[in-house]
Amino acid sequence: MDGGAARLPGTRAIVLSVNGADHTLLVEPRTHLADALREQLNLTGTHLGCEQGVCGACTVLIDGVPQRSCIAYAVECEGSRVTTVEGFDADETMAALREAFAAHHALQCGFCTPGMLITARDIVLRLGAAEDARIREELSGNLCRCTGYVGIVDAVAAVAAGRTPAPAVAAREPAPLAAAPLPVAGASAPAAAPSAPMTGGGAMLEETVHLAAPPDAAWAALSDLRRVADCLPGAQIDTVDGERVAGSVALALGPIKARFAGEGTVHLDPATRSGRLRGAGREGASRAEGEASWTVAPGAAGGSDLTVRLSWRLTGPLAQFGRAALVQDLVRRIAQDFARNLDALVAGEPAPAARPLGLLAMLWALLRGWLSGRR
Amino acid sequence: MKPAAFDYVRAGSVAEAAALLAEGAPDARLLAGGQSLGPMLNLRLARPARLIDLKRAAGLRDVMADETTLRIGAGWTHAEIEDGAVEDPARGMLRHVARGIAYRAVRNRGTLGGSLAHADPAADWVAVMAALGAAIVAQRAGGAERRIAAEGFVRGAFATALAPGEVLAAVEIPRLSPKARWGYHKVCRKTGEFAKAIGVAMLDPARGMSRVLAGAVEAAPVLLPHTAARLAEAGPDAAAAIVAEETGAALPHLSPAERALRAVAVRRALAQLDGG
Repeated sequence: MDGGAARLPGTRAIVLSVNGADHTLLVEPRTHLADALREQLNLTGTHLGCEQGVCGACTVLIDGVPQRSCIAYAVECEGSRVTTVEGFDADETMAALREAFAAHHALQCGFCTPGMLITARDIVLRLGAAEDARIREELSGNLCRCTGYVGIVDAVAAVAAGRTPAPAVAAREPAPLAAAPLPVAGASAPAAAPSAPMTGGGAMLEETVHLAAPPDAAWAALSDLRRVADCLPGAQIDTVDGERVAGSVALALGPIKARFAGEGTVHLDPATRSGRLRGAGREGASRAEGEASWTVAPGAAGGSDLTVRLSWRLTGPLAQFGRAALVQDLVRRIAQDFARNLDALVAGEPAPAARPLGLLAMLWALLRGWLSGRR
Repeated sequence: MKPAAFDYVRAGSVAEAAALLAEGAPDARLLAGGQSLGPMLNLRLARPARLIDLKRAAGLRDVMADETTLRIGAGWTHAEIEDGAVEDPARGMLRHVARGIAYRAVRNRGTLGGSLAHADPAADWVAVMAALGAAIVAQRAGGAERRIAAEGFVRGAFATALAPGEVLAAVEIPRLSPKARWGYHKVCRKTGEFAKAIGVAMLDPARGMSRVLAGAVEAAPVLLPHTAARLAEAGPDAAAAIVAEETGAALPHLSPAERALRAVAVRRALAQLDGG
């Protein structure tokens, strides 16, 4: 297609070398390679299973080595050579593998087979006559839900039998390293021991942070949700109506950035200096609901201890992606930031420098969304 | 499973990538192999406005060395390290570790520098570089560089010591001496998945080096200096005897089961030192 064709916003023309021929395609930067191959070149032998790099069905060769076409974008591949399962008609190794897959019943539904064949060819050519255990290890990135792998391993082993491994790769000859080493920053950064034990394993945890402020002052600060939100860049309270609050919290964890908007109910009990927030929020297709409760108690050596208990449930892509342990680390860091900011608030100091997370976030994020937990 | 729209630009050099990154803050993101970022994009957990592709940046695959140090450009892939396409200054440890990262198809695209900068605390290089005492070389627009000790580089899950606008350009790894020994044990339920626990042990008497590390998986890895000192004085068995105690003290926030898993990983790494 040429530049005269009607372009969607953000599309661009790229030249992609596929199975030995150059093709000009019009793609968006977000178009992954598998979609470009399937939708524009009708090379539907490349299958899409998980679209997150796990199942291996979309494995193709990029510059001669197997790679996932669902987590490589077409624009990245301009200048590379792509080979799909349709591109091996003249390949002797692939011909032998096709025969062996048939002879050993190495497929049933066939969905994983294109990726299996491309991975199998790499195993045969790279490792030669490998043992079954190694073949299984090498196949572990290609999921088959039909065969139990026995036939696949047998087929690969049959083709690999008698072959020799690829010759060893020569290491790049290093250039001389410039003298005058740069100073090293943070050479002895100790692993900061967390301030307090944390229990809980996934959907629930408890964290205690120490505040310099005495209990009454800390409680007073915590009782004003709008002021607390000020401590927490990214948190925003839109409305407070009695015990009902609505707002949002922006969270960042590495590349993951999310803004959870939602509503909740707050209940504060000054007599026990404890509070509880239940809420639910949503961010795209991810939904979070949860509860946070907190208590301010006198600290053993002055100041006060703020104990926060969080429980949450997450559904949608974030839950699918999620690893509970990462959320715990995020919560711990949020709690530490929050304690710092809250102390500053109580002391009447100006709001701390903007940071993506705050403690309040704990209340809100976790609550509402822990979610972004991952990033 | 389709990413939100983003803009895409290729950086011709590391310095150009740093300039583009500073210009695009905070919604620009560097892309190397994309093997961790890609799934996050596809799941729309990450929605950067612009990706800056480093893969073809000049200098990102330079290799430099002197007698004590090997400097590896950030753009080398795990598979290339596995295959020995770059020298292994750690006497086989890097090749061994590389082979255990994800799957070959991911290793063929994912890069050393991308993995470190992504800073998933369960990732292998984060633990290995900290244990080796490596230095991370960060470059900013204009080309100025600084080094950051790998052991302090990861600040938490997906958080690093890189300043805004800095690009991870290379890693400088001290050469182990010929009689150095290493042990690496990763607890995984399935080949290729992220670790549940990582233990690393290094003993290089000629360089006076003894280091033991517990990969924390949910947070930055922790060095175990007491265990390392015991290792240097009395050997792996004596060190193994105090691993549980020090792991417990260093990672008090973990549940007993999680702490036990770390201790097991470290003890198994120490056990690999026996017999050279």
